[in-house]
Amino acid sequence: MKPWIWGAAALIAAVVVPSFLDPAGYPIRVLTLTLLFAALGQAWNIVGGLANQISLGHAAFFGIGAYTSTILLIHFNLSPWIGMLAGAALAALAAYLLSFPTMKLRGHYFALATLAFSEVLRVVASSWTSVTGGPAGLSVPYAADSLALLQFKSTTPYYYIILGALVLICVVFLVIQKSALGYRLRAVKENPDAAEVIGVDTTRVKITAAVISAALTALLGTLYAQFTYFFDPEAVFGIVAISVRAAIIAILGGAGTLAGPLIGAFVIVPLEEFANAALSSRAAGLSQLVFGLMLIAIILVEPRGLLVLVSNGIARLRKGRKG
Amino acid sequence: MNMTGAPLLRIEHLHAGYDGNDVLHDISMEMSEGEFICVIGANTAGKSTLLRTISRLVRNARGRITFDGHDLMATAPYDVPKLGIAHVPEGRHVFPDMTVEENLLLGAYCVRHDPAYKHRLEESFSLFPRLRERRTQRAGTLSGGEQQMVVLGRAMMLGMRLLILDEPSHGLAPIVVDEVHDALVKIHQQGTSILLVEQNTALALSVASRGYVLESGRIVLADTAAALMENPKVREAYLGL
Repeated sequence: MKPWIWGAAALIAAVVVPSFLDPAGYPIRVLTLTLLFAALGQAWNIVGGLANQISLGHAAFFGIGAYTSTILLIHFNLSPWIGMLAGAALAALAAYLLSFPTMKLRGHYFALATLAFSEVLRVVASSWTSVTGGPAGLSVPYAADSLALLQFKSTTPYYYIILGALVLICVVFLVIQKSALGYRLRAVKENPDAAEVIGVDTTRVKITAAVISAALTALLGTLYAQFTYFFDPEAVFGIVAISVRAAIIAILGGAGTLAGPLIGAFVIVPLEEFANAALSSRAAGLSQLVFGLMLIAIILVEPRGLLVLVSNGIARLRKGRKG
Repeated sequence: MNMTGAPLLRIEHLHAGYDGNDVLHDISMEMSEGEFICVIGANTAGKSTLLRTISRLVRNARGRITFDGHDLMATAPYDVPKLGIAHVPEGRHVFPDMTVEENLLLGAYCVRHDPAYKHRLEESFSLFPRLRERRTQRAGTLSGGEQQMVVLGRAMMLGMRLLILDEPSHGLAPIVVDEVHDALVKIHQQGTSILLVEQNTALALSVASRGYVLESGRIVLADTAAALMENPKVREAYLGL
């Protein structure tokens, strides 16, 4: 089957599925979160997968999105749709400024610098109580179901809005991958020195990817805030909750590929929920331990990600049928 | 084109290095259009640094470098290829997950609006027929010699006027070394000026017409290749005779 047929089938399934689910139930919440984190993984994939700049600080942009729209809503009654754009612009600016000190860094050093940046923002959000609500976090005021205010009692509208965001980010990823920028990014990723000597402005290419990725990540921060109605600094600026999860979802699924973060999210988010539901009553921390062990097992079996594992499996099946 | 008779590349009182430690001291040299010259010297003499300073990958430099009247010291590294300078760094830097053809096409990145790149692709393929056979193969799966051909072919895609080469024979089997050097001679015959850095002194002096000897970051000798071959100091220190 051609890849676009897979994509179309997945999209149709995603559109149809909610009609079989209780709009206030648990499964659709998990599905909505899965789509949100698939989108987050895909946004990360633009800089982490295409440019191979492993960011461990994407929570910075996610949090900027959540806080910007919510603060604008609380204080100025500004629609989250506009707040979302403001958050995206702010995140893009932050990524641009951050790239001056970090883009010369490679590998671990880049990862650590981005991680430090998101930690700084988390501390700021925890301390600046008058604006951010401090460690107690912020609640999104609920008035009534309203598309203009991006708030609903039911989960289903969020599901479709977040599905739309996921589709948008996937399209952006594909367009970049197929464009001249995509080729430049591949050149930088595969051999930065060779890219430089053939005349690619490697710094500018990486900054462009980082800015696009940050802006898209901030959109998701706003959607997360509207969906959960409440968040604290740990939830949106958290290393484990957001930064590492975004990276793991993309890497585990297959970094640099369109399908990677989708597969990664659909394995990791339900797995995490399952581990929590099944084990959290047994012993504190047991669910995280089991979740971590499962991740290690997957990485050991196929370091290039689940996508490779799946496509190898399909290839083997086909061969078996022929032979 | 260079109509004035001025040198194509001129380096004057160049000091360069990394983080305040100069590796090159007061380098002055020049080459005319169409020349094939080499820089020889031991490991750590500063040969690679010299090439990397010309292509602006080493930014920490003082002095003057001009290429056909352009001030290279005021040129960004990614603009250097646009002037027609192709730098082939040491270590066969291919794009491993791209095909041979994609690698070559990326060599024309700076001149992508010039349709002549199609013609140059043919030229690269006719100089290296092996690359034509392997055009759809991933570059990372090629042998060392074939990867060196990819890198040379990629440089040709630029329609370069000056090729600067860092240790193209390093780590290659002797028969492949000969092949690479035959290719260099052909590239030179087609009108490209070449600046070659080599540890393999005998080989460098056999293909170049003129050479500079670099020692601890200073030029200690400059002469024709034939004279350097006969120079007792060069024979003892670099040719092992």
